Amino acid sequence: MVDTKLSRRGFIKASAATAALASAGTVGFNEWFKEYVKAGSNAEIKEIPSTCNACSSKCGMIGHVKNGRLWKLTGHPDHPYSKGKLCARGHGYATVVYSKDRLTQPLKRVGEKKFEPITWEQAYEEISGKLNEIIKEHGPQAVALTEDPRASGKFYSPRFINALGSSNYFTHHVVCSNSRDAGFMHTVGVSSTSADISNAKYIMFIGRSYGDGIRPSSVQSLAAAKDNGAKIIIVDPRLNNTGNLATEWLAIRPGTDLALVLAMSQVLIKENLHDTEFIKNYTVGFDEYAKELKKYTPEWAEKITGIPADSITRIAIDMGKAKPKALIEQSWRGAFGCNYENSTETGRAVAMFNALLGNYQQKGGSIFGTKPHLGNLDEGKHANPKDPDAPKAGKKEFPLAYHSHGVATMVAKEALEGKMKAAIYYHSNAALGYGNPKVMKEALSKMDLVVAIDVQMSETARLAHYVLPEVTYIERDEVIEGLSGKIPGIALRQQMVDKVHPETKPIHEIYTELAKVCGVGQYFNFSLDELNEAMLAPTSITYKQLREKGTIMFPNDEIKLGEVPKLKTPTGKVEFCSETYKEAGFNPIVEWIEPKVSPADDSFRLITGKQAIHSHTQTANIPILMQITKDYDLERIWINPARAKALGIKDGDLVELKSSEATSKIRVKVTERIHPEAIFVPSHYGITSKDLKTGYGVGFGYMEHVPFDFEKWSGAGNIHEVIVKVRKVKG
Amino acid sequence: MARYGMVIDTRKCVGCYACRVSCQMQNELPVEESYIKFYEKETGVFPNVKNEIIPVQCQHCEDAPCVSVCPTKATYTTKEGIVLVDADKCIGCKYCMVACHYGARTQDHNTGVVEKCRFCAELVAEGKQPACVSTCISNARIFGDLDDPNSEVSKAIVKMNAQPLRPDLGKAKIYYVR
Ligand code: SF4
Ligand code: SF4
Ligand code: SF4
Repeated sequence: MVDTKLSRRGFIKASAATAALASAGTVGFNEWFKEYVKAGSNAEIKEIPSTCNACSSKCGMIGHVKNGRLWKLTGHPDHPYSKGKLCARGHGYATVVYSKDRLTQPLKRVGEKKFEPITWEQAYEEISGKLNEIIKEHGPQAVALTEDPRASGKFYSPRFINALGSSNYFTHHVVCSNSRDAGFMHTVGVSSTSADISNAKYIMFIGRSYGDGIRPSSVQSLAAAKDNGAKIIIVDPRLNNTGNLATEWLAIRPGTDLALVLAMSQVLIKENLHDTEFIKNYTVGFDEYAKELKKYTPEWAEKITGIPADSITRIAIDMGKAKPKALIEQSWRGAFGCNYENSTETGRAVAMFNALLGNYQQKGGSIFGTKPHLGNLDEGKHANPKDPDAPKAGKKEFPLAYHSHGVATMVAKEALEGKMKAAIYYHSNAALGYGNPKVMKEALSKMDLVVAIDVQMSETARLAHYVLPEVTYIERDEVIEGLSGKIPGIALRQQMVDKVHPETKPIHEIYTELAKVCGVGQYFNFSLDELNEAMLAPTSITYKQLREKGTIMFPNDEIKLGEVPKLKTPTGKVEFCSETYKEAGFNPIVEWIEPKVSPADDSFRLITGKQAIHSHTQTANIPILMQITKDYDLERIWINPARAKALGIKDGDLVELKSSEATSKIRVKVTERIHPEAIFVPSHYGITSKDLKTGYGVGFGYMEHVPFDFEKWSGAGNIHEVIVKVRKVKG
Repeated sequence: MARYGMVIDTRKCVGCYACRVSCQMQNELPVEESYIKFYEKETGVFPNVKNEIIPVQCQHCEDAPCVSVCPTKATYTTKEGIVLVDADKCIGCKYCMVACHYGARTQDHNTGVVEKCRFCAELVAEGKQPACVSTCISNARIFGDLDDPNSEVSKAIVKMNAQPLRPDLGKAKIYYVR
């Protein structure tokens, strides 16, 4: 946190001066302010535009740096995700730069839990030596790299692993959007659309909460839509924090969203409310689909979802009437109610429902965004590594998975099978967040080389052989970020304060230097500035201008609504019937699939989701954010009062929660806001790395209870296929 | 002379705490100290439930009890109606903390000074919005001149029939829509 006494001095001095004024009578602003300015005049405040790193959105922000220290942040007004605002994580996570628990020098593991500091040279030498040895003996496919992609990583990480000859580049999406990405990809040709919320008249959210998994501009748009009288339906087993903005909450049985969407689709067609013109022009396979759909009546869905057939019919009809300004929002994490065995099918059903409404590329509908046209490095001077011959690990097992993200847990699976020998984790806490930590731990221990690049000693870092300390995002420049959307744009993350720890390095430097020692330096023979200059070349913008503005949008390239582009599916159209699915051995027409497990009368399904103040596990060690958890007991699990009563549990009681994988002790929040069949646990707690002193020991990690499992279609982690029993214990 | 006030529309508040954290950063508060507190009110029975989140901070009362009890006059009201604390005069006696109906005051454990929401006086003097208002992700907060009938805040109060949180406890300058 900011050094309070020092930086408050200006204000206190001003108060002293205004005190004199106050005793002379009432102080006005102007007098007060004059004194304030005088007192604070020696504080130099710089405003530096950059981008956030507290979640995957990377909102534009402006850092206010006082006397060389980060003082506060404000949202960048031009950036499409922030629109002048930042969420709590954005404000708070930036204090990581001054965290006492930061990594300050390269570390080498020398015992079970013992690390010793080494020089960068030694780290590079030893890591490259091992990498080359492994590649020589087992081939480049025995090496993998996984990250939570941010601007620089997105460019440098795949390039680095490809330079080594491996195609094994993975992202954290395996526990995020893999299902949605696969379902959308094979239906509409993109892994995600965006929603024109502010113009929509009828919006349905399934398992997605703008108020919890925040992108500030989305919440602003939703609030605007509400002001304009839009109907907003939340489908979720718990009344999430977006509830205030909603018209109606459908408290669905967890894992049954697919049945709801199928039934609503059936109603649309039955009532002749589907957009026949759109279907004729832009889709294939509608007749087969419509025929299959007949069996999914609202009465059928009522039995599965617990939502009255009347409500299903009413909402579907109202959405049909509001089309094309009606949509099911594209969701994010885990696609629609998160990762169940049927989530990819749910993603597909949703993409198809939006097609029935003909809302693609329509005002108030689902939008295919456009990207900015950026340049590349001159290939003559800066050769690209050639595409590796062997396919990415998991490609064979999960042919439908979205290729660019891959199935990151395959690294662990192949390590357990003895095939994967080395893994690099950049800005990724896979050991805690990607699958059952026990299994992940075992997998990591099987490998000959694990390298973690991070700013703090995450669980993954503790299991690594080498830990490379990165500077924080407040202390580095990054690769230009292209923003796609209705209007394309670019944003730059840039350094705000001097490096706090001299032995830390920005990621582009780490890759460039490591590549050189590994013998593939020829692919990294450029500086970050050269790369950014090359990217900017086709635009009329200079690097200096971008540095001054931070975010620049290209309103002249705004997409035209009403014109549906040729889709990137094999047929170029929305695919109600998918040959790709068929070839992969799945039903080409969307169908109802049962969740993998179901709770009995004496058990619950464990579900998880975001809280507005945390993201992944990275924010758990940030005192200003964790204090909110403590002040409001936010680490508790949610249980429905009727079920709690039957178990003799009262609000605040300590309970034991037991699954096939683990047992946890935690206090409960008894609330009507949750489905009786479910227990909700917020997803950011359970830090087991003792080096993270703020987060350590708060709450429990739901991943401990999640079996190491892959959803059959997209390879996503089946995070919500977990049954638990709960009993009261003595506190 | 402006008379500053705020509207908080709890029907829009999603309880994201952005206002709390931005306020802490703006005012360089220690981690444990916050000017904004949150109350939750759940009504109804599953599945017919409503949940209201009510952010509460200093209400900048007219005839503020904290001002009248303060023995050193450390707490005072500016001409614009902002209730401020003069850190140099505050002796940390906590009378004001007891007098405040809203539990809006906190003591800085480092300095002993009792503080509270200051309506971001220095930002407002520069013509800017308070930190909590400019960062509110759902635009649930509106700030401005209560004496100007054309200000956004005055119009919002009329349009949405915003009321003080506890009208029975006297006039306040924060109005709630619930
Ligand atoms: S809310 Fe409390 S601290 Fe603020 S002016 Fe009123 S009495 Fe004083
Ligand atoms: S007006 Fe300023 S001091 Fe008051 S709560 Fe908002 S940010 Fe904090
Ligand atoms: S920032 Fe706005 S929406 Fe978030 S908690 Fe504060 S008042 Fe509510």
